[in-house]
Amino acid sequence: MNRRMFLLGAPLAACAVDRRPHLNVFNWSSYIARDTVPNFEREFGVRVRYSVYESNEEMLAKVMTGNSGWDVVFPTHNRIEPMWRNGLLAPLDHAKLTNLRNLAEEFRRPLWDPELARSVPYMWNATGIVYNRRIEPPPSQWADLWSARWEGRLTMLDDAEDLLGACLAKLGLPFDSVNPADLERAKREAVAQKSSVRAYLNAEVRDQLVSGDVLAAQLWSTTAQQAISAAKDLAFVYPAEGFPLYADNAVILRESARAALAHEFLNYLLRPEVAAAIAREAETATANGAARLLLPAAVRASETLYPGAAIRARGTWPRALPGAAIRLRDRIWTEIKSA
Amino acid sequence: MKRVLGWYAALLYAFLHLPLLILIAFSFNSSRFSVWEGFSLNWYRAMWTNTQMAEAAWNSVIIAASSSLLATAIGTAAAYGMWKRKAPLLQVSLYLTLVTPEIVTGIALLALFQWIFRWMPFRLGLGTVILAHVAFSIAYVAIVLTARLRTMDPALEEAALDLGASEWTAFRRVTLPLLAPAMGAAALLALVVSFDDYVITSMVAGVDSETLPMVIYAMARRGVNPVLNAVSSVMVVFFGSLILLSEKVRAR
Amino acid sequence: MTVRHWFLLPARMVQMLLFVLPLGIVVALSLLTRGDYGGAEQPWTTEAYRRLFDPLYALILWRSLWMAALATGLCLLLGFPLALYISRAGKHRGLLLQLVILPFWTSFLIRTYAWLFLLRDTGLINTALLKVGVIHQPLPLLYNDGAVLLGLVYGYLPFMVLPVYAALERIDPSLAEAAADLGAKPFTITLRVIAPLAGSGILAGCLLVFIPSLGAYLTPDLMGGGRTVMIGNLVQNQFTTARDWPFGSTVSLALIGITGLLLFLFLRRAPVDAL
Repeated sequence: MNRRMFLLGAPLAACAVDRRPHLNVFNWSSYIARDTVPNFEREFGVRVRYSVYESNEEMLAKVMTGNSGWDVVFPTHNRIEPMWRNGLLAPLDHAKLTNLRNLAEEFRRPLWDPELARSVPYMWNATGIVYNRRIEPPPSQWADLWSARWEGRLTMLDDAEDLLGACLAKLGLPFDSVNPADLERAKREAVAQKSSVRAYLNAEVRDQLVSGDVLAAQLWSTTAQQAISAAKDLAFVYPAEGFPLYADNAVILRESARAALAHEFLNYLLRPEVAAAIAREAETATANGAARLLLPAAVRASETLYPGAAIRARGTWPRALPGAAIRLRDRIWTEIKSA
Repeated sequence: MKRVLGWYAALLYAFLHLPLLILIAFSFNSSRFSVWEGFSLNWYRAMWTNTQMAEAAWNSVIIAASSSLLATAIGTAAAYGMWKRKAPLLQVSLYLTLVTPEIVTGIALLALFQWIFRWMPFRLGLGTVILAHVAFSIAYVAIVLTARLRTMDPALEEAALDLGASEWTAFRRVTLPLLAPAMGAAALLALVVSFDDYVITSMVAGVDSETLPMVIYAMARRGVNPVLNAVSSVMVVFFGSLILLSEKVRAR
Repeated sequence: MTVRHWFLLPARMVQMLLFVLPLGIVVALSLLTRGDYGGAEQPWTTEAYRRLFDPLYALILWRSLWMAALATGLCLLLGFPLALYISRAGKHRGLLLQLVILPFWTSFLIRTYAWLFLLRDTGLINTALLKVGVIHQPLPLLYNDGAVLLGLVYGYLPFMVLPVYAALERIDPSLAEAAADLGAKPFTITLRVIAPLAGSGILAGCLLVFIPSLGAYLTPDLMGGGRTVMIGNLVQNQFTTARDWPFGSTVSLALIGITGLLLFLFLRRAPVDAL
């Protein structure tokens, strides 16, 4: 009897130890610097539970239920409107976000949230092709990824929007098309490519690129930059047919009971030195203009992270899709993965 | 024929055990590649200082201990009840629990919890994981106890009843002590099954209830990481010794 | 209420609340429609069931059945001789059995990771073969059906060995002796006399391997690289990233149906009294 009491008591005692306020933050992997969270914890006397995900879908699956337990998440820009319509987001109080002025000009009134009423741009990137320089000739467009020469040393993103987008771009169709006929054709392209695709991987493929297991991958520019820094024989290219631009934004979930603390965290992330530290260490493209000025010249000049105007002209910001279109795309994605 | 069988058995044992032994061996490799470069405890140090892993391990311990205790109590009671007289519905239900694929159990429990949370102010967390683990562990416990009860002579309890004891007293003073070793074995089985579970746990875990297998899975998906070798080694050695020890105790 | 009723009550409650009720909810979900952004809502419809008969999903089902059958066959082929050896090992039987069960106590996840460590392009096997010069390019040992099969066989082999051993143990040795006296070779004896007598054990082993293999999720996920979609992956995918709970529920029910059917057929042939 005594032994049982002890066994029950010990864990209860352990739970009572930490009395600091909590904040639960759910972010993309490799999207923060080592010191960012500990510094915030120290300065504000709180405890942050920080967990990571690899895709919007992974995050949405948890958050859609409305009682996931997360306070701050980082959806990509075109997920924000649907999340708002489903009542998942808390309105932002600009009085608490004094550092908003640090945002770069182009992110002060973004297409997806002109008033910044519910989101704060965090980092941005684009999807392109990262490849090993050994490959001759080097790939320069999406169509180059449809070739038997890859022999399974190629990966594509485990992301419906990006995969279908690449297929649509290859066919010369709009990246965020909702036309069922277009999507059918894109599906056929994806299935045709499958035999030379090793796997559908997101950021997880970075290690395999660095080690040379994988020769080419459809990848986001920031992950690509991380890989290139680790292995000099890699390079990144923005495909000629066009490519998507993405911005990941910090939002506060409506279910959160800690909105005040969450605002503090968002404001903290907007500090130039904090954003610069993250951009430097995680090798991401920051939406914070003041932070960008603090970065070393070499990083600011990186074509991969901050492409020039000519390249940017080929990119598009995918829009939020209507519900029915999302269902159709999800179904096609399942069919591609199962084929 | 016996010689051939002998060689074959040796090969198969090697197949079964070598991957784990190699995994453990390379946890001591100073380099992160599959080429041996020197002995080092780097990865163990890295594992030890990883707060996320430490928290997850602690969660796993709490969940395994709680669910194993509960499952042993409930499962023993059920096995005893079914031994006294058949309970066909419960029997079938427990069988079905065993053969239902883990992923289906996981999503069914997720659906249950999300439905309940529409009306009750709870969310996924340690509690839901413990409940889920109890749910699938009871069948294991029941099997172990049923096997033990089969070798139990009902005459012992009958004698106690004849001497004027109540049913409950007969159980508590006669049968229970005899079942104790089997209960220990069942509890250990439930503990290990709970600690190791990934599929069901991943579906019903919440923000603050990440378990060690969940952390391992997330890292394994990202590629090979020697810290995983270290964690795996610790788990294999720990649970392996626990099992062997319990077998020694039981054999006595 | 007798003592016995009180003893059975907790288990009955747990089964009702945490097994029967969830399954009931899954059935209800399978008849609903997917909301625009996920979840399930009215109207009630059998659309999910109709979608199940789409040739694409029949293909997935077929592939899963085939993989599970292959895994079972391989486990039988590999496991039977081992069980035979152990049953004849005399006083070492206990230890040998322990050695078979020991890997089972290790987390399935860790055992799968061990193979990832060995099989990847820069893993041990490829590194060794490259060094020795047998190959010049790493072999793609991972992310294909073969790797998944290997993972399944490795994971479930003990489940075949144990029941087969239990059955072999019960066979009267004098039967084999009689056959030998009649002039049969050892191999023939094994095939024509012993194996049929161990029938129930073989059947149990096959079931214990086939059913988990059919619903496998971790192995195709980690070792198949997301390319090998088996039913287990489909269910997980529909409940997480695709957020199509109605369809996911339908697939789950189909999976339970098949598993339940197999179990029912088995129990009629060879009643097991584990519980």
